[in-house]
Amino acid sequence: MGCSLKPFWLALILAANASAASYFLTVAGLGGEPDYEQRFSMLASDVDKILRTGPQNDKYVETLKGADATKVKMEAALNKIASQAKPEDAFVLMMIGHGTFDGTDYKFNLPGPDISGTELANLLNKIQAGRQLVVDMTSASGAVASVLKKENRTVITATRSGTEKNAVVFSRFWVEAMRDAAADVDKNEIVSALEAFQYAERKTADFYKEQKRLATEHPQVDDQQRASAFPLLRYGSASAVINDPAKKALVAKKEDLENRIDALKYQKSLMAPADYTKQLTALLLELSRVQAEIDK
Amino acid sequence: MRHIVFVAGLMAGQMLFAQSIDRAEALWRAGDFDGANNEFKALIARYPTNADYRVRWGQLFKERFNPEEAANLFGEALAINPKQAQALLGLAEIAEEHFDPKANEYAKQALEADPKLYQAHEVMALGALEDDNRKLAGDEAGEALKINPDALEATAIKASLDLLEDRESPWVTKIGNRGKGYETIAHLFEINRRYEEAITYYRKAISATPDLWTAHSELGITLMRMAREDEARKELELAYDNHYRDKPTVNTLRLMDSYSRFVTFKTPTTVLKLNAKEADLLRPYVQAEVEKAMATYEKKYQFKMPVPLQLEVYPDHGDFEVRTMGMPGIGGILGVTFNNVIAMDSPSGRPPGSFHWASTLWHEMSHAYVLMITNEHVPRWFTEGLSVHEETAINKDWGDRLIPDVIAAIRDKKLLPVATIDRGFMHPSYPQQVIVSYFQAGKMCDFISEKWGEGKLLDIVHAFAKSTPTVDVIKQQLGMEPEAFDKEFLAYIDKEYGKTVAGFEDWTKGVRGMNQAMKDQKYDEVIAKGREIEGLYTDYVENGNVYDFVAEACLKKNDTKCAIDELGRYSTIGGRDPDTVKKYAKLLEDAGRKKEAAAALERLNYIYPQDMELHKRLGALALDLGNTSEGIREFQAVIDMHPIDEADSHYNLARAYKAAGRNDQAREEAVLSLEAAPNFKPAQKLLLEVSGESGK
Repeated sequence: MGCSLKPFWLALILAANASAASYFLTVAGLGGEPDYEQRFSMLASDVDKILRTGPQNDKYVETLKGADATKVKMEAALNKIASQAKPEDAFVLMMIGHGTFDGTDYKFNLPGPDISGTELANLLNKIQAGRQLVVDMTSASGAVASVLKKENRTVITATRSGTEKNAVVFSRFWVEAMRDAAADVDKNEIVSALEAFQYAERKTADFYKEQKRLATEHPQVDDQQRASAFPLLRYGSASAVINDPAKKALVAKKEDLENRIDALKYQKSLMAPADYTKQLTALLLELSRVQAEIDK
Repeated sequence: MRHIVFVAGLMAGQMLFAQSIDRAEALWRAGDFDGANNEFKALIARYPTNADYRVRWGQLFKERFNPEEAANLFGEALAINPKQAQALLGLAEIAEEHFDPKANEYAKQALEADPKLYQAHEVMALGALEDDNRKLAGDEAGEALKINPDALEATAIKASLDLLEDRESPWVTKIGNRGKGYETIAHLFEINRRYEEAITYYRKAISATPDLWTAHSELGITLMRMAREDEARKELELAYDNHYRDKPTVNTLRLMDSYSRFVTFKTPTTVLKLNAKEADLLRPYVQAEVEKAMATYEKKYQFKMPVPLQLEVYPDHGDFEVRTMGMPGIGGILGVTFNNVIAMDSPSGRPPGSFHWASTLWHEMSHAYVLMITNEHVPRWFTEGLSVHEETAINKDWGDRLIPDVIAAIRDKKLLPVATIDRGFMHPSYPQQVIVSYFQAGKMCDFISEKWGEGKLLDIVHAFAKSTPTVDVIKQQLGMEPEAFDKEFLAYIDKEYGKTVAGFEDWTKGVRGMNQAMKDQKYDEVIAKGREIEGLYTDYVENGNVYDFVAEACLKKNDTKCAIDELGRYSTIGGRDPDTVKKYAKLLEDAGRKKEAAAALERLNYIYPQDMELHKRLGALALDLGNTSEGIREFQAVIDMHPIDEADSHYNLARAYKAAGRNDQAREEAVLSLEAAPNFKPAQKLLLEVSGESGK
């Protein structure tokens, strides 16, 4: 979905990128047993490592795991981000571990006291960042989606409700999406939150299918369009090109071609297949030539 | 006064009894089964110690498709009266219907309780005939006929004894217009895999007794097995509409409804029926393998299939099971053949690594040829044995590995004489006997091939085609008595597996020791121990195998060559775990041994092709090695699995086409890649290149 909107959103993202910062907080909660403890810490370390790759000047990364992942430290980290983040900034919270839901309250299991969904919402609401993404990858996380819902916040959960209580595998595949170039399906050198979600969702479903097990988790995203516009990770040189004044005319031509391709794709179902393919091929060839010029 | 009241009460009770049992029977006769059931229930509540009522109630359940409840009631009756002959007979009949060897035991007890109960002789005759013990079958049927010269089952069994040996039978006319007798003949043809004759006799049964719904149902199921779906549906629906709704009838109708989700691909010699959701992916692999097997078997068996071979592949094991319901000795099987029609599990229907679909396909296709060559006149043991033999004849790492149950059977001397090996399939006397019998029959064919030459197996096929019994075939074709054959065969088994059988306990202890050493990170000890014991039981490649332990220990020591060698042994011996094989391939690839890496991955296409990573890696290796046709096939497989990364997948296929010089198709794929991701630079570059603009 959202193909025709992508260039517009991408432009917004990239325009915002010049002065905006991104804040990342990753928390690996209580494992309860050595195997889970190790697994959660390892996933959090992987996320940390991925986020710390590349230039750091616009990126603030904090990771809490093991004994450090207490409620007090998580509150402190969120309060610190609240004191620094500005409306033009982006904020990403990733939660890995076990969650519980008693029918009323969701809780993220941490060493010592847990943090409830309501407490979390109150802390997040203090953060001014204009674009927020919360990825709650715990069991029962579906219960927190409505509690965290906010206009400028995309909420992704590993389960569709609080009644899906088994340990999840979604987190493993979310982290994989952050590593695997295949997650960047439109090859714009940005992995959006939606791309990462769809990658992890598909891999989660395949996991249960392959294991011949009944799926006990059904990942959810509350707003696909907003998720598609949220750049989780950038790599490559896409943004550098935009800022090169010498190539502005080519970039403008490229954007025009991209828009025409999107418009054509929108018309696909109304066109004769041969005509569609002919026009698409011509536009793609032209776009390829322009890109080759830009890359010279 | 109280006395009078008591008498009156007793009389009322007797009257009620008379009314209730009569009413129960009347309702049953009238087809009001729920009403009859309620009457029996009331009777049992009133007369809890009456064994006879429980037996009749049990018989009602037995007739109305609930053998479990029937057996419970017969058991309750026997708890009240251990000599209740009808209850014993009921248990014997239920056991017989499920090919349970206890049938004979119950039948004998029934005869002890009532020596005139000729039906017990009929049960024993039927069991003997299913075991291909024709003499005993004739004797038991004869005993039944002595007691009741009109005994229908016994008459049908007598007739079957002649008909199965292709002789006209005077007993057939004695059946007269009693359809049930023809139904028994049909059943015996069916379990001997003589489906066309079974169909003929089911039709005869229906002609004699048009409302014999069991025969309509059985006919429908047999027609379905032979892929004659329209006729099958007609018979099954007729049975269903007349309230004959046992599990096989209902489930077969459901299965046939599910065929709308299948797609059929036809060639002049094959019909391939695949589930739509995996048809694109599987078709190239399956079609190629079917054609390869046909070419091999045509040459080897010197026989050309007179009709197209039909293969149905089921991703849902439940659907496949419906295809095999009511067939003896097939619990846990992966494929089944009805003459030219083969049904089998899809690799997606089983956990990855647990099922070698190509091996199963070759196994079933051997059946198809042998059944056609012999006009279905072949004993179960031989056709299974030959099929098992063919699996490893085509490729040593195919087929089943030696499992602990078989080792135990060899150790405990449970292998059967060749004269009676069919019993191991038809009426297994211990849970794993069917699997052991598959192994034994396969090894018997291996033994024959090694001692008398591969051609002897075909000679035996032709001997069976003449309806020659096993004992005579052994004598005529191998020139020895069956007992001498058994002796030599056991010596052959001992030579091949004696070391494993004798060393099994040591091997088990050794694996436990390796497990502990691995936990203790004593990697040198793991490697040394592994090398010491892996020769004791080379075939073990399941979880906790020696190869895995040793390879892991090698990797912990950063000794890649050692790990490659060990995983190479695992792969050669038939290890099938996809993750382990992919790890092996990666080590080979990293060591620059790309050709071997590709060969290792290629094996997985025959095991679990529903693996996108496999196809992607194999495709890349194939292109690196200049094998463009394999590269195209593998990258096409990725696309057929509906990948997340469409752009990259179409781009890879475009690369493969370009490498093969098929620029038009390369261009189409590049466009598809860019349709998904217009800014995908590698695809843009490739599009320019195949459009002749690479230099611009």
